[in-house]
Amino acid sequence: MKRKTFINNSGRLILMGGLVYLTGSIILKRKVSASGKYVWQIDPFKCTQCGRCATQCVRDLSAVKCVHAYQLCGYCDLCGGYFKPNTHKLNTGAESQLCPTGALKRKYVEEPFFEYTIDEKLCNACGKCVKGCGSFGNGSLHLQIRHNLCQNCNECSIARLCPSNAISRVPIEAAYQIKGDFKKPVITAPK
Amino acid sequence: MVLLLLAGVIVGLVVIDLRNSRLDKRPDNPYEYSVDQFKSVDPALIRYEETIDFTFGDLDLRGIAFANNRLYLVEDFYLVIVSPEGKKLVKTELPESPICVTASSKGIFIGYKNHISQYTTDGMLVKNWEPLNDSAVITSLALADSLLFAADAGNRKVLKYRTDGTFSGSFNGKRDSADLHGFIIPSPYFELAVNPYGELWVVNPGMHAFENYSFDGTLREYWDKTGMTIDAFSGCCNPAQMAVMPDGSFVTAEKGMVRIKIHKASGELESVVAPAEMFGGGTYAPDLAVSPSGDIYALDYEKKMIRVFQLIKTK
Repeated sequence: MKRKTFINNSGRLILMGGLVYLTGSIILKRKVSASGKYVWQIDPFKCTQCGRCATQCVRDLSAVKCVHAYQLCGYCDLCGGYFKPNTHKLNTGAESQLCPTGALKRKYVEEPFFEYTIDEKLCNACGKCVKGCGSFGNGSLHLQIRHNLCQNCNECSIARLCPSNAISRVPIEAAYQIKGDFKKPVITAPK
Repeated sequence: MVLLLLAGVIVGLVVIDLRNSRLDKRPDNPYEYSVDQFKSVDPALIRYEETIDFTFGDLDLRGIAFANNRLYLVEDFYLVIVSPEGKKLVKTELPESPICVTASSKGIFIGYKNHISQYTTDGMLVKNWEPLNDSAVITSLALADSLLFAADAGNRKVLKYRTDGTFSGSFNGKRDSADLHGFIIPSPYFELAVNPYGELWVVNPGMHAFENYSFDGTLREYWDKTGMTIDAFSGCCNPAQMAVMPDGSFVTAEKGMVRIKIHKASGELESVVAPAEMFGGGTYAPDLAVSPSGDIYALDYEKKMIRVFQLIKTK
Protein backbone atom coordinates (compact mmCIF):
# COMPACT_ATOMS: atom_id res chain seq x y z
CA MET A 1 0.00 0.00 0.00
CA LYS A 2 1.24 3.42 -0.93
CA ARG A 3 1.87 5.93 1.86
CA LYS A 4 -0.69 8.37 0.41
CA THR A 5 -3.38 5.67 0.29
CA PHE A 6 -2.56 4.61 3.85
CA ILE A 7 -2.94 8.20 5.13
CA ASN A 8 -6.22 8.63 3.23
CA ASN A 9 -7.65 5.36 4.57
CA SER A 10 -6.58 6.18 8.12
CA GLY A 11 -8.25 9.59 7.89
CA ARG A 12 -11.50 8.02 6.65
CA LEU A 13 -11.36 5.43 9.44
CA ILE A 14 -10.90 8.10 12.12
CA LEU A 15 -13.79 10.17 10.68
CA MET A 16 -16.05 7.09 10.52
CA GLY A 17 -15.14 6.17 14.12
CA GLY A 18 -15.94 9.67 15.31
CA LEU A 19 -19.30 9.61 13.54
CA VAL A 20 -20.19 6.23 15.06
CA TYR A 21 -19.21 7.50 18.54
CA LEU A 22 -21.28 10.69 18.20
CA THR A 23 -24.33 8.85 16.83
CA GLY A 24 -24.07 6.19 19.53
CA SER A 25 -23.80 8.66 22.38
CA ILE A 26 -26.79 10.65 21.05
CA ILE A 27 -28.91 7.48 20.81
CA LEU A 28 -27.87 6.39 24.31
CA LYS A 29 -28.73 9.81 25.73
CA ARG A 30 -32.13 9.69 24.06
CA LYS A 31 -32.77 6.40 25.78
CA VAL A 32 -32.20 8.06 29.14
CA SER A 33 -34.07 11.30 28.68
CA ALA A 34 -37.42 11.25 26.93
CA SER A 35 -37.55 15.02 26.65
CA GLY A 36 -33.85 15.35 25.80
CA LYS A 37 -33.43 17.91 28.60
CA TYR A 38 -30.78 17.54 31.22
CA VAL A 39 -30.03 19.35 34.47
CA TRP A 40 -27.12 19.26 36.91
CA GLN A 41 -27.56 17.20 40.05
CA ILE A 42 -25.51 15.76 42.93
CA ASP A 43 -25.29 12.03 43.57
CA PRO A 44 -25.63 11.95 47.38
CA PHE A 45 -23.72 8.68 47.59
CA LYS A 46 -20.67 10.15 45.83
CA CYS A 47 -20.68 13.52 47.60
CA THR A 48 -17.86 13.93 50.14
CA GLN A 49 -19.06 17.28 51.56
CA CYS A 50 -15.88 19.06 50.48
CA GLY A 51 -17.50 22.47 50.93
CA ARG A 52 -16.99 23.63 47.33
CA CYS A 53 -20.73 23.79 46.62
CA ALA A 54 -20.72 26.78 48.97
CA THR A 55 -17.89 28.62 47.27
CA GLN A 56 -17.90 27.67 43.58
CA CYS A 57 -21.49 28.23 42.44
CA VAL A 58 -21.94 31.26 40.18
CA ARG A 59 -24.89 32.35 42.31
CA ASP A 60 -24.16 34.67 45.24
CA LEU A 61 -25.78 32.17 47.59
CA SER A 62 -25.26 28.70 46.16
CA ALA A 63 -28.06 26.95 44.26
CA VAL A 64 -27.08 23.83 46.20
CA LYS A 65 -29.11 23.31 49.37
CA CYS A 66 -29.25 20.76 52.10
CA VAL A 67 -32.35 18.57 51.83
CA HIS A 68 -33.77 16.13 54.35
CA ALA A 69 -35.01 12.61 53.62
CA TYR A 70 -37.43 12.46 56.54
CA GLN A 71 -38.17 8.77 56.15
CA LEU A 72 -34.53 8.04 56.97
CA CYS A 73 -34.26 10.44 59.92
CA GLY A 74 -34.20 9.08 63.45
CA TYR A 75 -35.51 12.37 64.91
CA CYS A 76 -32.68 12.09 67.45
CA ASP A 77 -32.12 14.36 70.41
CA LEU A 78 -28.36 14.19 69.82
CA CYS A 79 -28.27 14.94 66.09
CA GLY A 80 -24.79 14.70 64.55
CA GLY A 81 -25.87 17.10 61.83
CA TYR A 82 -27.17 19.76 64.21
CA PHE A 83 -24.73 19.73 67.11
CA LYS A 84 -21.03 20.41 67.23
CA PRO A 85 -19.11 17.39 68.52
CA ASN A 86 -18.76 17.26 72.29
CA THR A 87 -21.29 20.02 72.81
CA HIS A 88 -22.14 20.39 76.47
CA LYS A 89 -25.87 20.99 76.27
CA LEU A 90 -28.35 19.69 73.72
CA ASN A 91 -30.17 22.96 73.14
CA THR A 92 -30.61 25.49 70.33
CA GLY A 93 -27.87 27.83 71.55
CA ALA A 94 -25.74 29.17 68.70
CA GLU A 95 -22.60 27.90 70.40
CA SER A 96 -23.92 24.33 70.14
CA GLN A 97 -24.86 24.45 66.47
CA LEU A 98 -22.69 23.02 63.71
CA CYS A 99 -24.37 25.02 60.92
CA PRO A 100 -22.42 28.28 60.37
CA THR A 101 -25.56 30.13 59.23
CA GLY A 102 -28.17 28.63 61.58
CA ALA A 103 -30.08 27.19 58.62
CA LEU A 104 -30.81 23.87 60.31
CA LYS A 105 -33.76 24.27 62.66
CA ARG A 106 -34.59 21.97 65.58
CA LYS A 107 -38.12 21.56 66.89
CA TYR A 108 -39.33 19.44 69.78
CA VAL A 109 -41.94 16.88 68.71
CA GLU A 110 -42.46 14.66 71.75
CA GLU A 111 -40.14 12.90 74.16
CA PRO A 112 -37.54 11.90 72.94
CA PHE A 113 -38.02 13.07 69.33
CA PHE A 114 -36.88 16.28 67.59
CA GLU A 115 -37.60 17.34 64.03
CA TYR A 116 -34.92 19.01 61.91
CA THR A 117 -35.83 21.29 59.01
CA ILE A 118 -33.76 23.44 56.67
CA ASP A 119 -34.27 27.15 56.07
CA GLU A 120 -33.12 27.27 52.45
CA LYS A 121 -32.82 31.06 52.50
CA LEU A 122 -29.98 30.64 54.99
CA CYS A 123 -28.40 27.42 53.76
CA ASN A 124 -25.08 28.07 51.97
CA ALA A 125 -24.43 24.41 51.03
CA CYS A 126 -21.29 24.03 53.15
CA GLY A 127 -22.28 20.41 53.85
CA LYS A 128 -21.15 20.38 57.49
CA CYS A 129 -24.52 19.06 58.66
CA VAL A 130 -24.44 16.42 55.92
CA LYS A 131 -21.05 15.19 57.08
CA GLY A 132 -22.17 15.12 60.72
CA CYS A 133 -25.39 13.30 59.89
CA GLY A 134 -23.61 10.70 57.75
CA SER A 135 -20.86 10.13 60.31
CA PHE A 136 -23.01 9.76 63.38
CA GLY A 137 -26.53 9.13 62.10
CA ASN A 138 -28.54 7.69 59.26
CA GLY A 139 -27.32 10.10 56.58
CA SER A 140 -30.76 11.57 56.01
CA LEU A 141 -29.37 15.07 55.36
CA HIS A 142 -27.74 15.52 51.96
CA LEU A 143 -27.01 18.15 49.32
CA GLN A 144 -29.06 18.70 46.17
CA ILE A 145 -29.06 21.35 43.46
CA ARG A 146 -32.32 23.30 43.63
CA HIS A 147 -33.56 23.79 40.08
CA ASN A 148 -35.59 26.87 40.93
CA LEU A 149 -32.24 28.50 41.80
CA CYS A 150 -29.81 26.76 39.45
CA GLN A 151 -29.02 28.58 36.20
CA ASN A 152 -28.18 25.25 34.56
CA CYS A 153 -24.93 26.62 33.17
CA ASN A 154 -23.45 24.91 30.16
CA GLU A 155 -20.52 23.93 32.36
CA CYS A 156 -21.33 23.79 36.06
CA SER A 157 -18.56 25.61 37.91
CA ILE A 158 -18.98 23.35 40.96
CA ALA A 159 -18.84 20.18 38.87
CA ARG A 160 -15.50 21.30 37.42
CA LEU A 161 -13.91 21.30 40.86
CA CYS A 162 -15.91 18.54 42.55
CA PRO A 163 -13.22 16.12 43.82
CA SER A 164 -15.52 13.09 43.79
CA ASN A 165 -17.26 13.74 40.44
CA ALA A 166 -20.56 13.69 42.30
CA ILE A 167 -22.17 16.30 40.03
CA SER A 168 -23.37 15.26 36.60
CA ARG A 169 -26.15 16.00 34.13
CA VAL A 170 -29.25 13.92 34.79
CA PRO A 171 -32.48 13.69 32.79
CA ILE A 172 -34.94 16.37 33.81
CA GLU A 173 -37.51 13.62 34.53
CA ALA A 174 -35.30 12.54 37.45
CA ALA A 175 -34.06 15.97 38.43
CA TYR A 176 -33.66 15.20 42.13
CA GLN A 177 -31.81 12.30 43.73
CA ILE A 178 -33.32 12.29 47.19
CA LYS A 179 -32.07 9.54 49.47
CA GLY A 180 -34.72 7.00 50.30
CA ASP A 181 -36.23 6.90 46.83
CA PHE A 182 -32.81 7.18 45.20
CA LYS A 183 -30.74 4.29 46.47
CA LYS A 184 -27.06 3.52 46.44
CA PRO A 185 -26.82 1.04 43.59
CA VAL A 186 -24.32 -1.62 44.69
CA ILE A 187 -24.32 -2.27 48.44
CA THR A 188 -26.69 -4.88 49.78
CA ALA A 189 -28.01 -3.56 53.06
CA PRO A 190 -27.84 -6.13 55.85
CA LYS A 191 -30.84 -6.47 58.13
CA MET B 1 -0.50 36.66 12.05
CA VAL B 2 -3.41 38.01 14.12
CA LEU B 3 -5.12 34.63 13.97
CA LEU B 4 -1.98 32.89 15.19
CA LEU B 5 -1.71 35.35 18.09
CA LEU B 6 -5.36 34.76 18.99
CA ALA B 7 -4.86 31.00 18.87
CA GLY B 8 -1.83 31.38 21.15
CA VAL B 9 -3.84 33.41 23.67
CA ILE B 10 -6.66 30.82 23.64
CA VAL B 11 -4.23 27.94 24.16
CA GLY B 12 -2.58 29.89 26.99
CA LEU B 13 -5.93 30.49 28.71
CA VAL B 14 -6.84 26.82 28.41
CA VAL B 15 -3.49 25.75 29.90
CA ILE B 16 -3.86 28.19 32.84
CA ASP B 17 -7.43 26.97 33.44
CA LEU B 18 -6.35 23.34 33.40
CA ARG B 19 -3.48 24.04 35.79
CA ASN B 20 -5.81 25.81 38.22
CA SER B 21 -8.23 22.87 38.11
CA ARG B 22 -5.60 20.40 39.28
CA LEU B 23 -6.36 18.78 42.63
CA ASP B 24 -3.34 20.35 44.34
CA LYS B 25 -4.27 23.81 43.04
CA ARG B 26 -7.88 23.77 44.21
CA PRO B 27 -8.81 26.18 46.99
CA ASP B 28 -8.95 24.96 50.58
CA ASN B 29 -12.34 24.19 52.05
CA PRO B 30 -13.27 27.09 54.33
CA TYR B 31 -16.00 24.93 55.89
CA GLU B 32 -13.78 21.95 56.69
CA TYR B 33 -15.41 19.67 59.25
CA SER B 34 -13.20 16.77 60.16
CA VAL B 35 -14.52 13.79 62.09
CA ASP B 36 -11.11 12.10 62.06
CA GLN B 37 -10.68 12.72 65.78
CA PHE B 38 -13.54 10.25 66.33
CA LYS B 39 -12.13 7.64 63.95
CA SER B 40 -8.81 7.16 65.68
CA VAL B 41 -8.69 6.14 69.32
CA ASP B 42 -6.05 6.04 72.00
CA PRO B 43 -3.94 2.93 71.16
CA ALA B 44 -3.93 2.03 74.87
CA LEU B 45 -7.67 1.37 74.62
CA ILE B 46 -7.25 -1.17 71.81
CA ARG B 47 -6.78 -4.55 73.46
CA TYR B 48 -7.70 -6.78 70.52
CA GLU B 49 -5.98 -7.59 67.26
CA GLU B 50 -7.32 -8.98 64.01
CA THR B 51 -5.83 -12.45 63.69
CA ILE B 52 -7.70 -14.37 60.99
CA ASP B 53 -10.06 -13.44 58.18
CA PHE B 54 -12.02 -15.88 56.13
CA THR B 55 -14.40 -15.55 53.26
CA PHE B 56 -16.60 -17.87 51.26
CA GLY B 57 -16.76 -15.98 48.01
CA ASP B 58 -19.11 -13.29 46.84
CA LEU B 59 -21.87 -13.88 49.38
CA ASP B 60 -24.42 -11.56 50.93
CA LEU B 61 -23.77 -12.36 54.58
CA ARG B 62 -26.63 -11.64 56.98
CA GLY B 63 -25.97 -13.02 60.44
CA ILE B 64 -23.55 -15.02 62.58
CA ALA B 65 -23.72 -17.08 65.79
CA PHE B 66 -21.27 -19.22 67.75
CA ALA B 67 -22.32 -22.39 69.59
CA ASN B 68 -21.32 -26.05 69.90
CA ASN B 69 -17.76 -25.07 68.85
CA ARG B 70 -19.19 -24.10 65.45
CA LEU B 71 -19.88 -20.87 63.63
CA TYR B 72 -23.34 -20.57 62.11
CA LEU B 73 -23.63 -18.16 59.22
CA VAL B 74 -26.75 -17.14 57.36
CA GLU B 75 -26.49 -15.53 53.95
CA ASP B 76 -28.58 -15.15 50.82
CA PHE B 77 -29.81 -17.95 50.62
CA TYR B 78 -27.88 -20.47 52.68
CA LEU B 79 -27.15 -21.63 56.19
CA VAL B 80 -23.44 -22.42 56.45
CA ILE B 81 -21.87 -24.26 59.36
CA VAL B 82 -18.19 -23.49 59.74
CA SER B 83 -15.41 -24.60 62.10
CA PRO B 84 -13.86 -21.81 64.21
CA GLU B 85 -10.84 -21.94 61.89
CA GLY B 86 -13.01 -21.18 58.86
CA LYS B 87 -13.48 -24.65 57.36
CA LYS B 88 -16.89 -25.05 55.73
CA LEU B 89 -18.67 -28.13 57.14
CA VAL B 90 -22.31 -27.94 56.03
CA LYS B 91 -24.20 -25.76 53.55
CA THR B 92 -27.99 -25.87 53.47
CA GLU B 93 -30.22 -23.92 51.11
CA LEU B 94 -32.76 -21.53 52.65
CA PRO B 95 -36.12 -20.65 51.09
CA GLU B 96 -35.80 -16.86 51.50
CA SER B 97 -33.46 -14.13 52.67
CA PRO B 98 -32.58 -14.66 56.36
CA ILE B 99 -31.88 -11.85 58.81
CA CYS B 100 -30.41 -13.39 61.94
CA VAL B 101 -29.40 -16.68 63.56
CA THR B 102 -28.77 -18.18 66.96
CA ALA B 103 -27.88 -21.70 68.04
CA SER B 104 -27.36 -24.01 71.00
CA SER B 105 -27.27 -27.75 71.56
CA LYS B 106 -31.08 -27.67 71.05
CA GLY B 107 -30.71 -26.61 67.45
CA ILE B 108 -30.28 -23.70 65.06
CA PHE B 109 -32.90 -20.94 64.91
CA ILE B 110 -33.06 -18.64 61.91
CA GLY B 111 -35.00 -15.37 61.91
CA TYR B 112 -36.60 -14.25 58.66
CA LYS B 113 -38.59 -11.07 58.21
CA ASN B 114 -41.73 -12.31 59.92
CA HIS B 115 -41.09 -15.89 61.01
CA ILE B 116 -38.58 -18.20 62.64
CA SER B 117 -37.38 -21.56 61.35
CA GLN B 118 -35.87 -24.28 63.49
CA TYR B 119 -33.07 -26.55 62.26
CA THR B 120 -31.10 -29.41 63.84
CA THR B 121 -27.48 -28.68 64.74
CA ASP B 122 -26.57 -30.50 61.50
CA GLY B 123 -28.59 -28.06 59.41
CA MET B 124 -31.74 -30.16 58.76
CA LEU B 125 -35.06 -28.30 58.83
CA VAL B 126 -37.20 -29.23 61.86
CA LYS B 127 -40.10 -26.85 61.27
CA ASN B 128 -41.16 -23.34 60.33
CA TRP B 129 -42.84 -21.54 63.21
CA GLU B 130 -46.12 -19.68 62.94
CA PRO B 131 -45.54 -16.42 60.99
CA LEU B 132 -46.08 -13.00 62.57
CA ASN B 133 -47.95 -10.09 60.98
CA ASP B 134 -46.60 -8.26 57.92
CA SER B 135 -45.15 -5.41 60.01
CA ALA B 136 -42.78 -7.76 61.79
CA VAL B 137 -39.04 -7.55 61.17
CA ILE B 138 -37.16 -10.06 63.31
CA THR B 139 -33.65 -8.70 63.80
CA SER B 140 -32.18 -10.72 66.65
CA LEU B 141 -32.64 -14.04 68.46
CA ALA B 142 -31.35 -15.27 71.83
CA LEU B 143 -31.70 -18.57 73.67
CA ALA B 144 -32.14 -19.06 77.40
CA ASP B 145 -32.37 -22.75 78.20
CA SER B 146 -35.76 -23.81 76.79
CA LEU B 147 -36.85 -20.28 75.84
CA LEU B 148 -36.14 -18.29 72.72
CA PHE B 149 -36.42 -14.49 72.65
CA ALA B 150 -36.89 -12.66 69.36
CA ALA B 151 -36.50 -8.91 68.76
CA ASP B 152 -39.25 -7.70 66.43
CA ALA B 153 -38.10 -4.27 65.22
CA GLY B 154 -41.19 -3.76 63.06
CA ASN B 155 -43.64 -4.08 65.96
CA ARG B 156 -41.12 -2.80 68.56
CA LYS B 157 -41.60 -5.83 70.75
CA VAL B 158 -39.62 -8.62 72.33
CA LEU B 159 -41.31 -11.96 71.68
CA LYS B 160 -40.96 -15.00 73.91
CA TYR B 161 -41.22 -18.57 72.57
CA ARG B 162 -40.56 -22.03 73.89
CA THR B 163 -37.92 -23.82 71.83
CA ASP B 164 -40.63 -26.08 70.41
CA GLY B 165 -42.12 -23.00 68.73
CA THR B 166 -44.93 -22.27 71.19
CA PHE B 167 -45.51 -18.51 71.52
CA SER B 168 -45.65 -17.53 75.18
CA GLY B 169 -45.90 -13.74 75.33
CA SER B 170 -44.32 -10.43 74.41
CA PHE B 171 -43.44 -7.07 75.92
CA ASN B 172 -42.90 -3.62 74.42
CA GLY B 173 -40.56 -1.98 76.93
CA LYS B 174 -43.17 0.38 78.43
CA ARG B 175 -42.74 0.62 82.18
CA ASP B 176 -46.42 1.43 82.71
CA SER B 177 -49.46 2.07 80.55
CA ALA B 178 -48.96 5.87 80.73
CA ASP B 179 -45.57 5.61 79.00
CA LEU B 180 -45.66 7.17 75.55
CA HIS B 181 -42.94 4.94 74.15
CA GLY B 182 -41.36 1.65 74.94
CA PHE B 183 -38.57 0.54 72.67
CA ILE B 184 -37.56 3.33 70.28
CA ILE B 185 -36.40 1.82 67.01
CA PRO B 186 -36.10 4.35 64.17
CA SER B 187 -34.53 1.82 61.79
CA PRO B 188 -34.47 -2.00 61.86
CA TYR B 189 -31.63 -2.48 64.34
CA PHE B 190 -32.92 -4.09 67.51
CA GLU B 191 -30.65 -6.45 69.42
CA LEU B 192 -31.02 -8.73 72.40
CA ALA B 193 -28.88 -11.35 74.12
CA VAL B 194 -28.92 -13.61 77.15
CA ASN B 195 -25.69 -13.40 79.15
CA PRO B 196 -23.88 -16.35 80.80
CA TYR B 197 -25.76 -15.61 84.05
CA GLY B 198 -29.12 -16.11 82.32
CA GLU B 199 -30.07 -12.40 82.21
CA LEU B 200 -31.95 -11.01 79.23
CA TRP B 201 -30.46 -7.75 77.92
CA VAL B 202 -32.23 -5.74 75.24
CA VAL B 203 -30.74 -2.79 73.34
CA ASN B 204 -33.11 0.18 73.17
CA PRO B 205 -31.26 1.77 70.22
CA GLY B 206 -33.17 5.07 70.05
CA MET B 207 -32.16 5.76 73.65
CA HIS B 208 -28.63 4.27 73.32
CA ALA B 209 -29.63 2.11 76.28
CA PHE B 210 -29.04 -1.43 77.46
CA GLU B 211 -32.06 -2.69 79.40
CA ASN B 212 -32.18 -5.79 81.56
CA TYR B 213 -35.58 -7.49 81.68
CA SER B 214 -36.92 -10.43 83.61
CA PHE B 215 -38.29 -13.15 81.34
CA ASP B 216 -41.83 -11.84 81.90
CA GLY B 217 -40.84 -8.37 80.60
CA THR B 218 -40.28 -6.41 83.82
CA LEU B 219 -37.45 -3.88 83.60
CA ARG B 220 -34.85 -4.66 86.25
CA GLU B 221 -32.03 -2.25 85.44
CA TYR B 222 -30.62 -0.24 82.58
CA TRP B 223 -27.75 1.99 81.55
CA ASP B 224 -27.43 4.40 78.67
CA LYS B 225 -24.57 6.38 77.11
CA THR B 226 -25.34 9.09 74.58
CA GLY B 227 -22.49 11.05 73.02
CA MET B 228 -20.11 11.21 70.11
CA THR B 229 -17.02 10.14 72.03
CA ILE B 230 -15.62 6.60 72.06
CA ASP B 231 -17.18 5.71 75.43
CA ALA B 232 -20.75 6.44 74.25
CA PHE B 233 -23.18 5.81 71.38
CA SER B 234 -24.49 8.35 68.90
CA GLY B 235 -26.88 8.43 65.98
CA CYS B 236 -30.43 7.22 65.94
CA CYS B 237 -29.99 3.47 66.43
CA ASN B 238 -26.87 2.44 68.22
CA PRO B 239 -25.45 0.06 69.14
CA ALA B 240 -26.78 -1.62 66.02
CA GLN B 241 -25.27 -5.00 66.89
CA MET B 242 -24.46 -6.59 70.21
CA ALA B 243 -23.22 -9.88 71.69
CA VAL B 244 -22.25 -10.89 75.21
CA MET B 245 -18.74 -11.84 76.27
CA PRO B 246 -18.08 -14.87 78.52
CA ASP B 247 -17.72 -12.54 81.57
CA GLY B 248 -21.09 -10.84 80.92
CA SER B 249 -19.71 -7.66 79.35
CA PHE B 250 -21.07 -6.48 76.01
CA VAL B 251 -19.30 -6.32 72.68
CA THR B 252 -21.02 -3.72 70.52
CA ALA B 253 -20.88 -2.60 66.90
CA GLU B 254 -22.10 0.79 65.75
CA LYS B 255 -23.38 1.93 62.39
CA GLY B 256 -22.60 5.31 60.84
CA MET B 257 -19.10 5.49 62.24
CA VAL B 258 -18.46 1.78 62.37
CA ARG B 259 -16.49 0.63 65.39
CA ILE B 260 -16.46 -2.35 67.76
CA LYS B 261 -16.07 -1.86 71.50
CA ILE B 262 -16.52 -3.72 74.76
CA HIS B 263 -18.58 -2.21 77.56
CA LYS B 264 -18.71 -3.63 81.06
CA ALA B 265 -22.07 -4.96 82.24
CA SER B 266 -22.43 -1.72 84.19
CA GLY B 267 -21.86 0.39 81.07
CA GLU B 268 -18.31 1.73 81.36
CA LEU B 269 -16.12 1.38 78.29
CA GLU B 270 -13.74 -1.50 78.88
CA SER B 271 -11.75 -1.59 75.65
CA VAL B 272 -11.85 -1.06 71.91
CA VAL B 273 -11.81 -4.08 69.61
CA ALA B 274 -11.67 -2.29 66.27
CA PRO B 275 -11.66 1.49 65.70
CA ALA B 276 -13.49 3.14 62.79
CA GLU B 277 -10.21 3.33 60.86
CA MET B 278 -10.43 -0.44 60.28
CA PHE B 279 -13.73 -0.25 58.41
CA GLY B 280 -12.99 1.88 55.36
CA GLY B 281 -15.94 3.86 54.14
CA GLY B 282 -18.56 1.33 55.21
CA THR B 283 -21.50 2.36 57.31
CA TYR B 284 -23.08 -0.98 58.27
CA ALA B 285 -22.41 -2.33 61.73
CA PRO B 286 -21.00 -5.85 61.57
CA ASP B 287 -23.02 -8.62 63.19
CA LEU B 288 -21.08 -10.17 66.05
CA ALA B 289 -20.54 -13.56 67.65
CA VAL B 290 -18.33 -14.53 70.58
CA SER B 291 -16.68 -17.88 71.30
CA PRO B 292 -16.50 -19.24 74.88
CA SER B 293 -12.80 -18.29 74.91
CA GLY B 294 -13.67 -14.66 74.10
CA ASP B 295 -12.70 -14.53 70.43
CA ILE B 296 -14.88 -12.05 68.56
CA TYR B 297 -16.22 -12.84 65.09
CA ALA B 298 -17.44 -9.87 63.04
CA LEU B 299 -19.24 -9.98 59.71
CA ASP B 300 -17.82 -7.35 57.40
CA TYR B 301 -20.66 -6.82 54.92
CA GLU B 302 -18.66 -4.64 52.56
CA LYS B 303 -15.64 -6.94 52.29
CA LYS B 304 -17.89 -10.02 52.50
CA MET B 305 -15.68 -11.71 55.06
CA ILE B 306 -15.60 -12.87 58.65
CA ARG B 307 -13.00 -10.95 60.64
CA VAL B 308 -11.71 -12.57 63.84
CA PHE B 309 -10.42 -10.46 66.72
CA GLN B 310 -8.48 -11.92 69.63
CA LEU B 311 -7.19 -10.42 72.85
CA ILE B 312 -3.64 -9.17 72.42
CA LYS B 313 -1.39 -11.49 74.37
CA THR B 314 0.74 -9.62 76.88
CA LYS B 315 4.35 -10.77 77.26
